[in-house]
Amino acid sequence: MLLSKTVRSSSTLKLAFVYVIAFCAAIFGLLGYVYWSTVTYLHKISDRAISIESDLLTKAYESGGRDGLVTFINRRLADAHFSEWAYLLVDHSFDYIAGNLKGWPASFSGKEGWSTLASVDWQSEPARRPPVRVKHQLLADGNRLLLGRDNEDLDRFSESVTIGLASAAVIFLILAAAAGISTSRRSVARIEAINATSREIMRSGLGERIPLRGTGDEWDGLAKNLNSMLDRIEQLVETNRQVSDNVAHDLRTPLTRMRGRLEKACHQQLDLSHYRSLVNDTIGDLDEILTTFSSLLRISQIEARDRTAAFRDIDLSEIVREVVELFEPTAEERAVRLQLSAGRTVSVFGDRDLLFDAISNLVDNAIKHGGDQREVRIAVAQGADGPILSVNDRGPGIPIEERNHVLRRFYRLERSRNRPGNGLGLSLVAAVANLHDTHIVMADNFPGLKVELHFPKLQPAVASDFDHQERSWAIGVSNPSR
Amino acid sequence: MAGYARHVLVIEDDAETADQLVDCLKSSGYQVDLAVDGEEGLRLALAADYVVMTVDRMLPRVDGIEIIRRLREQGIVTPALILSALGEVDDRVRGLRAGGDDYLVKPFAFREMLARVDALARRSGTTVKETILRIGDLEIDLLTRIARRRGREIELLPREFRLLAYLARNVGQVVSRTMLLQHVWDLHFDPTTNVIDVYVGRVRRKIDSGQDYPLIHTIRGIGFCLRAPE
Repeated sequence: MLLSKTVRSSSTLKLAFVYVIAFCAAIFGLLGYVYWSTVTYLHKISDRAISIESDLLTKAYESGGRDGLVTFINRRLADAHFSEWAYLLVDHSFDYIAGNLKGWPASFSGKEGWSTLASVDWQSEPARRPPVRVKHQLLADGNRLLLGRDNEDLDRFSESVTIGLASAAVIFLILAAAAGISTSRRSVARIEAINATSREIMRSGLGERIPLRGTGDEWDGLAKNLNSMLDRIEQLVETNRQVSDNVAHDLRTPLTRMRGRLEKACHQQLDLSHYRSLVNDTIGDLDEILTTFSSLLRISQIEARDRTAAFRDIDLSEIVREVVELFEPTAEERAVRLQLSAGRTVSVFGDRDLLFDAISNLVDNAIKHGGDQREVRIAVAQGADGPILSVNDRGPGIPIEERNHVLRRFYRLERSRNRPGNGLGLSLVAAVANLHDTHIVMADNFPGLKVELHFPKLQPAVASDFDHQERSWAIGVSNPSR
Repeated sequence: MAGYARHVLVIEDDAETADQLVDCLKSSGYQVDLAVDGEEGLRLALAADYVVMTVDRMLPRVDGIEIIRRLREQGIVTPALILSALGEVDDRVRGLRAGGDDYLVKPFAFREMLARVDALARRSGTTVKETILRIGDLEIDLLTRIARRRGREIELLPREFRLLAYLARNVGQVVSRTMLLQHVWDLHFDPTTNVIDVYVGRVRRKIDSGQDYPLIHTIRGIGFCLRAPE
């Protein structure tokens, strides 16, 4: 078979065929019209010539009577220019008087006017016997005059027109079919490349990418989009894998401790207070694990955008004031000065609990990692593009190359590995920020870390639950961190 | 509290959890009725007068939230503590909107559950609103919002006063960190840092330092308790 099965079943090919058929129908219609109008025109011209000749014969008859007519006819018969003309003069009983036909055509009815005869009996037998167009006149003396002209030239001409048009149509058909097939083959080939990659991915993993041709056409565009989708999926899978690895790792330590304690309780004779402290420690470890799990669950739920029912207009300054007030004793205990600049009401549309939790995490981090210059500045301001919350500390900051990682679950900077904490705080901040269409910007505070939350501009009157649902996912964390 | 008032209804379909709940509540002096599905729970709640009920969120036949909704429709205001494995999300909001009074996410510490049941029982038992609370030599005036110890006024920030008042209203009961965050800050999440401890610590310094005996006690693994010595 000329075409492979995929090409034969391709919808592009089917579409191409529909186009070819429609195109051919149009071409045939056009050529048919050209043929019809040409042939009609030629017949008209031929009939006019016969009419003119008929007038001349009539004049000859009127001026010279029957003899004059016979003379005229004989003169015409001698003239080579009139070889395709037929003349026949018969008397009232249809007997031959003059002309180049043997006699009155048997099939001819004898009505006056125009007729087309399939064949006539020529005196000199011609090579071909084309149909003859005739005009029949009844003369005043009862004789009949038959004047005609064979259609050979005309037929030959229409024949060549027919052949020309037919071959043009065939060529059109072939070209159109070839174009259709080649287009569908090409698209099938591109789709097949995509299919092959998909199969490869199903079989061996997310490493494969669809090859680009570099033509920049729509197929390359599709391939590029699919490839970046694959990149994103691969990245998500990788993140997931890391999270599970980290969960496993973070769980193993307390689980091992618990197992050890339980073994000890099982195999050794201990006094009651020992048992009690052992059970208490185990409960403490279990609580730690449960906290980690509920934090993870909370982050996933926030990321899944499950939590928008509690969204409403709230004052960011108010929340920040409350957070600072809550952390005041903690800061005091660590000899950190909390400097707050939050004056006017700054409205944002969001969930108070979540924002409070996220801001708490930022402030907590700043207090814990704020270094020796014990000062943390927290500010709320109305920027041109929306409210901005910033938390600045004077600590060691986060190296630029690590800022991209710190928002990941369980990611911990090398220096804070031995400190308490589960590495989920900033992931929660990122999830909450995402839910609120808010950018997280991390920058150097020279020295220290500057974390900013850039909230979207609150559009008056549209801040309803419905509008929030409509907001897109496109929140990007412009400069992800800690 | 009056003995007749300490009757609790537990609606819980998981047999082991139900046993543990019943044991735990019985051991702290409550009389307990157990319903193992929503229909039975609804029937019992309509029939008898309970001081508190705990309602599992997911139940066979009639859903926990549905039970509370129907009871409230019938004008029954028995305080309900919703116990749910669904956790966070908007579920807490839904539960509280339906008429639940408190919400606890599984798994929970039984002492935390007990602390919440105690708080609800106390609430439903308190018919007369006192305006001055007295615990030992501490006096809290809820109207003027002034706290005094041995007659000396203690300077408290508004939030610190709310915290002290909440502890005082639940005098002798254990109050968890999450409960404090909920009732003093109106926030609904579990604090992952020790920020509440430190905050309570500051209030404790103001209340207890230089006094004959401490009033605010830390209960390890659970939270805090305001109580005068026996």
